Amino acid sequence: MGKGKPFLEVLASAIHEDFRFPFLELFAFLYMLGAFALANFSVSLYSQVSTNEAVAYVVTTSLIGFSLLFFLILVFKNIAYGLGSELEKGIIQTYFSYPLKRWAILTAKLLSGIGVSLLLFLGIQISAFYILAPDIVSTQLSTIMLTYAANLSFPLIISGIILLLTLQLGRGGIGLVVGIMLYLGMSIASQIALLVAQATESALGVQIISMFSPNYALQYHYRALVGASSSLWNPTLSETMLYIGGSYAIVAALFILGYIYFSRRLNL
Amino acid sequence: MKRWTTILGRGGTTLIAISLALLIVSFIPQTQSSSSKGSMPIRAGQFSVMFSPGTITPQQEVQVNITVKGTLTIYLLEINARAQFMNGTFGYEFNLTDLQELLKEHPEQIPLEHEVENSGYKLNYTPSKIMNATVAVYNNASETATLEFDMALKSSLAPGDKVRTIAYFAAPIGVIMAVPWLLSGWKQRKNKLA
Repeated sequence: MGKGKPFLEVLASAIHEDFRFPFLELFAFLYMLGAFALANFSVSLYSQVSTNEAVAYVVTTSLIGFSLLFFLILVFKNIAYGLGSELEKGIIQTYFSYPLKRWAILTAKLLSGIGVSLLLFLGIQISAFYILAPDIVSTQLSTIMLTYAANLSFPLIISGIILLLTLQLGRGGIGLVVGIMLYLGMSIASQIALLVAQATESALGVQIISMFSPNYALQYHYRALVGASSSLWNPTLSETMLYIGGSYAIVAALFILGYIYFSRRLNL
Repeated sequence: MKRWTTILGRGGTTLIAISLALLIVSFIPQTQSSSSKGSMPIRAGQFSVMFSPGTITPQQEVQVNITVKGTLTIYLLEINARAQFMNGTFGYEFNLTDLQELLKEHPEQIPLEHEVENSGYKLNYTPSKIMNATVAVYNNASETATLEFDMALKSSLAPGDKVRTIAYFAAPIGVIMAVPWLLSGWKQRKNKLA
């Protein structure tokens, strides 16, 4: 028997657990409904949007809006509750008897918990956007994907932290609470950083925040919804890409730590 | 085999859920943003801007309903014909010369052109990007035509017809995919009870 089959076995089992009926259907329904309810093209008419890229950015940001919260709930549930309860119940220990490396087991769990959720979220959102405005999507797909990349990096950083906490503690409750606190804390911290930046006329605070949540750098780049503070910081596209790359480096580092811990240190 | 039934089944139920969301979106009523209604004679060789809602988005629809006695050509133009005072009257600065230039130089800015002769004509146009819109008529014939018009700009969450069509196609596919899985689940439950 090749290694592919046990891997698929673990993956199928993980997907079955993470997306029990009707979770998948419920989230698909909410994503689709949310995409149409939140898509706001008129924002681009009233804000200082001049280029096609900026229009694509502003509409994509409006589209992501509240739906991101549903995505977070799903991913946090899958990692903290899904992986956490499997660690508690000893299901992960059963997987260790499979002819699979430990990293392959974690990969199967993460593919189910984050990968499938991400596919569902992006697939439905971009399809909805394409139904609404095919001309914008077909000409500005790179801007749209960049906006998604910028908006999803912070949720993925939190997912990495939740993964580490869940593996360390052997259960997901505390990781889940920490994740929610971090997400809300970032909203507060970004508002404070914005106010401080305006008061001190220094963009340092916003630049630090952008290392973790690069959608702020992208927002400043397009100067869409920043109003008067746009004179504070005008990052170029390559600078913005650097912030996005930096935040994904943090995501990668957290997940690599998770893999190392799961493969070498996790004693069950 | 059972795994494929499950994968297809869950895909089907997800498709049904998406279709349901699309149907709900398509049935949310439109709101009227602006409108123009009335009747007027259009002399031979006369050009007239009938409705200029300005910039429209993919969440808006230009609805045109006209009845023509005579012959008129109706145009949907991708321009913003601004109204202003000219020679003491309030009118559109866009004129026949501009239209002829547009027809010759930028035909891509004319998403729709239709000749109406002694009949009615209905148009529902939803743009696929953010664009300017102007509805204009031109009498290319040798006699005066009479035009009755009712034009409006409606806003909605999504283009209803398009979204409904997708839902009508996706839902039956979802049902076909889901039925074997639902049946096997029902049989399993029946066996357990027995």
